[in-house]
Amino acid sequence: MRITVKRWLCWLAGGLSLLSGMVLADTQVQDSTGIHHFNAVPKRVITLSWEATDEVLALGITPIAAADAVDYRRWVVQPTLPASTLEIGSRLEPNLELILSLKPDLIIINPVLRDMQPQLSRIAPVLMFDAYRMDHDNAAYARQVYLELARLFGRQALAQQRIREMDGRVEQLRARLHQHFGPTLPKVEILRFAGPASVYLFGENSMPIKALQMLGVPNPGRKTMSAWGITSMPITALGQFGDRIVLHQEPFDQSDKLFPTPLWQAMPFVKAHHFAAVRSIWSYSGFFSLYYLADAITDALLTLPASPAR
Amino acid sequence: MLASRQLRAFPRFSRRYPLLLIGVIVLACLHVQINTSLPLSEQWVLLFQAPSGFDQLQFVYGNLPRMALAIMVGAVLGFSGSVLQQLTQNRLVSPMTLGASSGAWLAMVCATIWLPVWAAHSVWPALAGAMIAVAVVVVIAGPQGLGGLPLILSGMALNLLLGAVSAAVVMMHDQYVRNLFLWGSGDLAQNDWLWVSWLWPRLWPAPLVLWLAHRPLMLLRLGSQGAQGRGMRLWPVMLLLLFAALWLSSVAITAVGLIGFIGLLTPNFVRLLGARSVRGELIGSALLGAVLLLATDMLAQLGGTLGFGIVPSGAAAALIGVPGLLWFSRKRQAVSGGQQTISLVVRAQQLKPWAWIVIGASLALLALLSLTLSLSARGWQISWPDDLVWLFRWPRTLAAAAAGIGLAVAGVILQRLLRNPLASPDMLGLSAGSTLVLVLASTLLHRPLQQGATGLAFFGSMGVLLLLLALGRRMNYAPGMMALVGISLSALLDAVLQFALASGSADTFTIVGWLAGSTYRVSGGQSLALAVTVTVLLLLALLGQRSLTLMSISDGVASGRGVNLRVARVAWLVLVSLLTAAVTSVMGPIGFLGLLAPHMAALFGARRVVPQLLLSAGIGSVLLLLADWLGRMVIYPGQAPVGIVASVICGLYFIVLLLVQRARRGWA
Repeated sequence: MRITVKRWLCWLAGGLSLLSGMVLADTQVQDSTGIHHFNAVPKRVITLSWEATDEVLALGITPIAAADAVDYRRWVVQPTLPASTLEIGSRLEPNLELILSLKPDLIIINPVLRDMQPQLSRIAPVLMFDAYRMDHDNAAYARQVYLELARLFGRQALAQQRIREMDGRVEQLRARLHQHFGPTLPKVEILRFAGPASVYLFGENSMPIKALQMLGVPNPGRKTMSAWGITSMPITALGQFGDRIVLHQEPFDQSDKLFPTPLWQAMPFVKAHHFAAVRSIWSYSGFFSLYYLADAITDALLTLPASPAR
Repeated sequence: MLASRQLRAFPRFSRRYPLLLIGVIVLACLHVQINTSLPLSEQWVLLFQAPSGFDQLQFVYGNLPRMALAIMVGAVLGFSGSVLQQLTQNRLVSPMTLGASSGAWLAMVCATIWLPVWAAHSVWPALAGAMIAVAVVVVIAGPQGLGGLPLILSGMALNLLLGAVSAAVVMMHDQYVRNLFLWGSGDLAQNDWLWVSWLWPRLWPAPLVLWLAHRPLMLLRLGSQGAQGRGMRLWPVMLLLLFAALWLSSVAITAVGLIGFIGLLTPNFVRLLGARSVRGELIGSALLGAVLLLATDMLAQLGGTLGFGIVPSGAAAALIGVPGLLWFSRKRQAVSGGQQTISLVVRAQQLKPWAWIVIGASLALLALLSLTLSLSARGWQISWPDDLVWLFRWPRTLAAAAAGIGLAVAGVILQRLLRNPLASPDMLGLSAGSTLVLVLASTLLHRPLQQGATGLAFFGSMGVLLLLLALGRRMNYAPGMMALVGISLSALLDAVLQFALASGSADTFTIVGWLAGSTYRVSGGQSLALAVTVTVLLLLALLGQRSLTLMSISDGVASGRGVNLRVARVAWLVLVSLLTAAVTSVMGPIGFLGLLAPHMAALFGARRVVPQLLLSAGIGSVLLLLADWLGRMVIYPGQAPVGIVASVICGLYFIVLLLVQRARRGWA
């Protein structure tokens, strides 16, 4: 209760300070280690994890430097990281002296750098967000982090607007799916190939399954043993899915060794043409990656025949 | 006389073939029952008519080829292991211990990244990697060393080097090789007869070997001199057999990935069962290999149904193989044959006083450079660091220097204790033990690897020490046994690691990062503690130098002068473990330094214990300071971890040095 009152006060203060030249009286931000106080809106932000880079970009803020910026542009791709953002070394060992020389006023990390927090906090205030855990809802937490950061940067209005936009667009996607499949959407499984004989199946807490739930597509949401919500299983175990719809996330460069085989062709869902590819999307990123995933999944589902599964 | 006794033993063991064959058939039948709902009668019918329906197709294209592949690969691994062991007259030889597996793995990793089309379905990368690795190992060990520990230790050294290089490559191309991990962990799952029909025509050398190898291998048992006396031109035949054995294991590796231990253990078990003749051992190993891999793969599949995700057969083989190997080594003097030591020719010279000056000066200069000279966003900069930069730099510099001392001192002690210049702390499995505990903790407890790493790593290497002490007591801490524990633990680590990486439950990224060995996360307190620990342990070593000197001459001399061998060995082992644990727990595994520094000190002419301890401590420090500084600059703003830089530089230098010496000394 007290916190909500404080939050209201903060928002009020934030709104007032926006008017009076971007100086915050006292913003409190909750990260995975506790509550942090900020007196001013950070201007020079350095992000040392890809989730953080993603969330900050989604607030319309360009980090001055990001860890693995080059690889981010290759693997995560969306949202686009401007060329002005400097590469600062790997997410595992970002270059402390370079960070120091850039004089940041905020550093955002994830638990990979937990034990570097003492050193980093000597350079600038550090926020740590533990995005992927088995014991929380990864998608809900991503949203919470996004809103938390929005408050820090005084961009709640923008954040709310973007979330509304996203909801609206997801609504459109859902409408397209219903238009195609009718009032009840078919059950869907999503997986990624580990090779021609084994797959990683996305389960309960994984972002692709969260995207499915957002679209209102039913999925069994299996329990998994990993923070990212994936389980490995052999190809032969996929027979249990029957003629349910199965999607696979690209890339899969050994498809020529699997797809022509008699066993694969005999999979009930392949026979029933209930199998499609989802274009490559980085699925361990920030809140809006849910939308990119949902968009890609919808496109994949719309390539399938409309006849509902038995 | 020996030969005639073997000939008499031959018919007795051959009576066991039918038994082993029945074992293969029974296990094969049981093996295909996993993951199928078809009744037996229907399975029988499927052998004669085309399948219909998914369950039948799954049986015919999933279960049957997997079973066939397990039989073929198991037989091939057992068979080629037996050929290699008889060829070298060394009971610890296998594709794994000879460096062939790690050579094949590195070659596959590189091919996947740079020549993906070529890598996909070809045996050539694995074969080339395996051949080159084994050639290097054999050349280093030399003809006299083939039968004993030198071969195993050179194999181990090359394994470490190739492992470091693969780790570096994997680290820089994380995303590209991700799908290789499951292959690397030896997964037998099949979806077609593709690999079976690929593999069997490539097994043609096996019957040829069986037909040709009898006489040469029999003669080899009499010693190579005896064989040459009977007019055999040994080298061409041996080379041919070696090539055949490597070809066979390479095709198996290409088909299913890395499955260790089967090739190592099977021939030994077959001998325990009574096989004496060349053919008896070869055929027996093939049959028992099939039995073992079928059984292992069944366990792996059952483990998979228990909800661990996929349990790769390679990991299961290692889990069973390590206790098997340790039990086996306890039962009999596994490494008693052949030459036990290897000598590195060192230019005989007095220890020059300038050596101290050179090392001391480079130490001071490097420490100063590492604190002042660095790259920045504006290019090279040399200046005394301001307060904050100083705070970032000094722990790393101090930690690198202290770790260099610690590993070098541990190396000197170990080489003198085992009287073997290829011994080093990483070969005892101490660092493998720490890493193993960390990986298990992060996989099973689902937490970031870096969290609380120091305590866990220390716990791991002390566990290995206890294992060494417990196992070693019976065998008087024989060098062969120590090496065996190291080999087993490293192989177990590899298997668990591949499993953790493949299952997707652990964070590939942080594990590979920890394996690299780095000063990045060392805090001021940790580096001070490390420096103090290392200094105290170095002083202790200096105090005990008399017993080390005597023991490095021979056990007889030492006990004659009143050294209690048991107590002394245990004390020195504990000292080495403490040094290794202290370094590994702060920085992660750092290979090769403990091997190289003592050797370089000897090159400078330090022959007595005290000068060698002090000089190699200095050299170790210099090398790690250099590696750390280079690592910070070479891919700026990224950081190449000191462990990888040191391993690659020292390892390459060392292998080249050994090869050059072999060339100079000639092949006899």
